[in-house]
Amino acid sequence: MANAATMTAHGGQQYNYDIVKKFSIMALVWGVVGMSVGVMIASQLAWPVLNFDIPEITFGRLRPVHTTLVIFGFGGNALFATSYYVVQRTCQVRLYSDALASFTFWGWNLAGVLGVVTYMMGYTQGREYAEFTWPIDILIAVVWVVYFWVFVQTLVRRNQPHIYVANWFYIAFILATALLHIFNNLAVPVSLFGLESYSMFSGAQDAMTQWWYGHNAVGFFLTAAFLGMMYYFVPKQAGRPIYSYRLSIVHFWALIFLYMWVGTHHLHWTAIPDWTSTLAATFSILLLMPSWGGMINGVMTLSGAWDKLRSDPIMLFMITSLSFYGMSTFEGPMMSLKSVNALSHYTDWTVGHVHSGALGWVAMISFGALYHLIPRLWNTTLYSLRLVYVHFFLATVGIVLYITALWVAGIGQGLMLRAFDEYGNLAYSFIESVVFLHKPYVVRAIGGGFFVAGILVMAFNTYMTISRAKREAAQPAAVAHAASA
Amino acid sequence: MNNPSDKKQGVQTTGHVWDDDLCEYNNPLPRWWLWTFYGTVFFAILYWLLYPAWPVGSSYTKGLFNDITYTVNGEEVTTHWNTRALFMRDMQSSPAAVRQREFLDVIAATDYEDLLADADKLAFVRSYGRGIFGDYCAACHQTGGTGIVGRYPNLSDDDWLWGGSVADIERTIMHGRLGYMPPFRETFDAEQLDVVAEYVLSLSGIDGGDAAKAQRGEVIFKGMAGGCFHCHGADGKGLPSQGAPNLTDSVWTIANVPAAETFDAKKEAVKGVIHNGVQRQMPAFGERLSPVEVKVLTAYVHQLGGGQ
Repeated sequence: MANAATMTAHGGQQYNYDIVKKFSIMALVWGVVGMSVGVMIASQLAWPVLNFDIPEITFGRLRPVHTTLVIFGFGGNALFATSYYVVQRTCQVRLYSDALASFTFWGWNLAGVLGVVTYMMGYTQGREYAEFTWPIDILIAVVWVVYFWVFVQTLVRRNQPHIYVANWFYIAFILATALLHIFNNLAVPVSLFGLESYSMFSGAQDAMTQWWYGHNAVGFFLTAAFLGMMYYFVPKQAGRPIYSYRLSIVHFWALIFLYMWVGTHHLHWTAIPDWTSTLAATFSILLLMPSWGGMINGVMTLSGAWDKLRSDPIMLFMITSLSFYGMSTFEGPMMSLKSVNALSHYTDWTVGHVHSGALGWVAMISFGALYHLIPRLWNTTLYSLRLVYVHFFLATVGIVLYITALWVAGIGQGLMLRAFDEYGNLAYSFIESVVFLHKPYVVRAIGGGFFVAGILVMAFNTYMTISRAKREAAQPAAVAHAASA
Repeated sequence: MNNPSDKKQGVQTTGHVWDDDLCEYNNPLPRWWLWTFYGTVFFAILYWLLYPAWPVGSSYTKGLFNDITYTVNGEEVTTHWNTRALFMRDMQSSPAAVRQREFLDVIAATDYEDLLADADKLAFVRSYGRGIFGDYCAACHQTGGTGIVGRYPNLSDDDWLWGGSVADIERTIMHGRLGYMPPFRETFDAEQLDVVAEYVLSLSGIDGGDAAKAQRGEVIFKGMAGGCFHCHGADGKGLPSQGAPNLTDSVWTIANVPAAETFDAKKEAVKGVIHNGVQRQMPAFGERLSPVEVKVLTAYVHQLGGGQ
């Protein structure tokens, strides 16, 4: 790693780190805000009085605020940061355009702010994970095309004969997200100066378009892109080569081919043609091993460096994220089977599943990557490794509480709603199943609280790291170098 | 990472190096991974054979060995697997559906008198009724039918606003009810409001009032100045045809008299109702529930408390 440190020392000229720093900091800012809103809405479900009868902060309006901030705010900024970092370092070339990269930063984060404000005012498109109203959709589309252009032009100018695997995943994510965003949001505005619009699609086709988008937001935004992150930061942190080049090729193509088919599994047992349901279920099963290919490549990269788990808390984040990735990509195909879905659909099992992916995989790999990235960007060391351990344990306890509570809630409610008594009558009314949910909801909110406590520790650690780096930079260079060595 | 080959496995890297030290081993695909993937392909093909799966022209493959038989207008229909047929078959012939239908057929053919006298049928009514009551009624009347004073009547006691016979209850469920008492804020001055409230409290024997005031209130209550007797009756015992409650018992549905501790607080509660009047509505369920569902629900509500 000594080599990397010297690269970083003069990285200011060679690479554009400024943009990576900005995106990294915003990832943490949105992470803290978005996850706190998550705890708020989880508490509102457990104790409805917390809605306070104030429309702007009721569950219905805060829910898209939460999802938008954690997926696009936290996740999106972490992806921009890492992709701009990885593409520069693995292509050995500076970003194609500092100005355009800067535009993506301001445009993306402005879209997030506008989204939050309009949701709280009550404006939404009513499409899950695509609630942005049409003017914001246009802003996002422009930002995204610029992102694509910056990324591709940087790749084209690379000083390396081969394109590193992480960049395949990033480019697939950027391309697919553009496609998904634009087609899902095709709509006719009601007026030029209003925020309302009508979808171009209707009925079952509208629903299927939405879930084609919705599931591929999971597949490309939350999976392929974060696999790109994994493919750079895991081998870097472990100091080991990727386990298998062949596996990375095979699972990459299998993954991006298969994901596009499966969105309709969100609509099982609804008014869609049965054959679409079958295809979605079977392609979900086919997706299991391609998903696990990424997990295997990550975990096996660590084999031979297991001792690092004892000394390196960043490695703990990475291995745990890969474990949760494996678990949730197993759980997903199971839930896509029609017979399992008949139980799980419309219950909190789905919510638990998405959080085992979102907290366990997406957030944990991002935390690991950011802990690796931040000291290198500011040319220093982390303020406290002990606090990284603290963050790790808070986050892990939080996730375990969260998902076990929602397994109980979801499977419990699913079983209650299908239970018959000895007369052949439904054994429970709907409201009884809601009453049952209270305790698991309380545990879920507590789990979320642990997770937020973790990211607050991280934010503090990051603040201290950066402010110390700035103090070091103010000292003579020789002294600073000795201090960080 | 100075050693690019994996000593343990003797595998070389691909020879590509990025960012100083990123390389890749050229390990083969793990066997178990590959075979499990083939397993999922086999599973998918099997699934495609059994269920509607691939679009072909304007139709689709229907699936083999997986037909569903159900009844339409007394005639048996056999079709390839599909969600609708599965639903129809389940609703017609699943064990729970069959058992439930047997009971419902019996209930439909039984009149209320026999129904309420038969312990077995009542047990079914309690089981089936609990579900529909929970889905349609409990949002207002609460699980168990205890209601909320001031808003939704208690159905589990033996006091009825609109009558507690099965005929009355059925009518209430079928057609809904509009509960109305006019506000007296324009009619009564403060003194009149006060004495009428005193009288109303004296009707149910609540101590602490001023007998002289109550007497003046009685005059207003029973005279044309107040006209309260039109609905509540000269004796204050109410009129079920108007949904007017009996004021002489200790059951209160709007003014929360039992919760008020002092006599003055009780009087304030009563004055509030007289001053503002009452407007409340129960929706009609005649078109939302089937006749047998209405019957079960009627019997269920009747047996909750004191059906008459």
